[in-house]
Amino acid sequence: MAAHAKKAQQFARQLFKMSVVNGTVSPERVSGVLQYVEKHKVANPLIVLKAYARLIATELAKSHATVEHAGEISAATLSTIAAAMSKKYGRPVTASAKPNPALLAGLRVQVSDDVYESSVAGQLAALSAAV
Amino acid sequence: MLSSSLIVAAASGLTKITDDFGISVPLILAQILSFSIVAIVLWKFAFKPVMTTLDERQGKIESGLQYAEQMKAQLATTQQQTEAALKEAQQKAQAIIVEAQKAAKTLADKQQQDAVEQAAALIAKAQSAIELEKKKMLAEARGEIARLVVATTQRVLAKELSEADRGRFNDAATRELTSV
Repeated sequence: MAAHAKKAQQFARQLFKMSVVNGTVSPERVSGVLQYVEKHKVANPLIVLKAYARLIATELAKSHATVEHAGEISAATLSTIAAAMSKKYGRPVTASAKPNPALLAGLRVQVSDDVYESSVAGQLAALSAAV
Repeated sequence: MLSSSLIVAAASGLTKITDDFGISVPLILAQILSFSIVAIVLWKFAFKPVMTTLDERQGKIESGLQYAEQMKAQLATTQQQTEAALKEAQQKAQAIIVEAQKAAKTLADKQQQDAVEQAAALIAKAQSAIELEKKKMLAEARGEIARLVVATTQRVLAKELSEADRGRFNDAATRELTSV
């Protein structure tokens, strides 16, 4: 069972590599991969698709910045943040706003597993931890 | 001639004596013979066995006395040996008692020392625990105070911060985050 799962994971990684073009996930390639899996008999298709979906989601998260904010935030600010993150990661990164009043004031940007924060709540938490 | 006359005279004198006392020579000789026979028989069958028995008894008595003397000497030797053994045993017992007293004293001293060390260790441990507890309480109090301050500050800021303030803070945060 473990050997089957390992093979399925490897196959999912191969499919994922085929879905990425120039460092970004290509919708056409993803659609092609899904059609291939649907038409051909693949061993352990459920495990393969779950692993493939997780890899695609992780990769998409790397190309998307969630900007949590308290108070109003302008589209120009979002564009600025998206441009800064694209420059930082070396690939196109889109940005979307997500209100979070718990921040009190400021921003928290999350790209994949990376979190960048400059907020009053974060500064208070840092102060509390330091004391 | 003279001698023969003397002999005759002597014989006549002797005959006169034996006649005067009524002694008959053949009878005397017969008595001597019978007495000798009786004496020999008595010597042979009565006196000699009795003497042998007496000698045997004498020998037994002497050997018994000698045995008694030997036993007496042996008893004395045994008594001396017993006394020596008792004395030695007493000395050994005394030595053992002294040794046991020393061991008991050593053990008591060690136990006392151990008790003192354990008490010191307990006191040190208790002091350490008290110190740790004190530090923990201070840390908890500090954390609680900080939490209260932060919570209060959050509430105040949530009420007091205007949209303009938030906008300015957001602009500053944007500049900070984009410069990373």
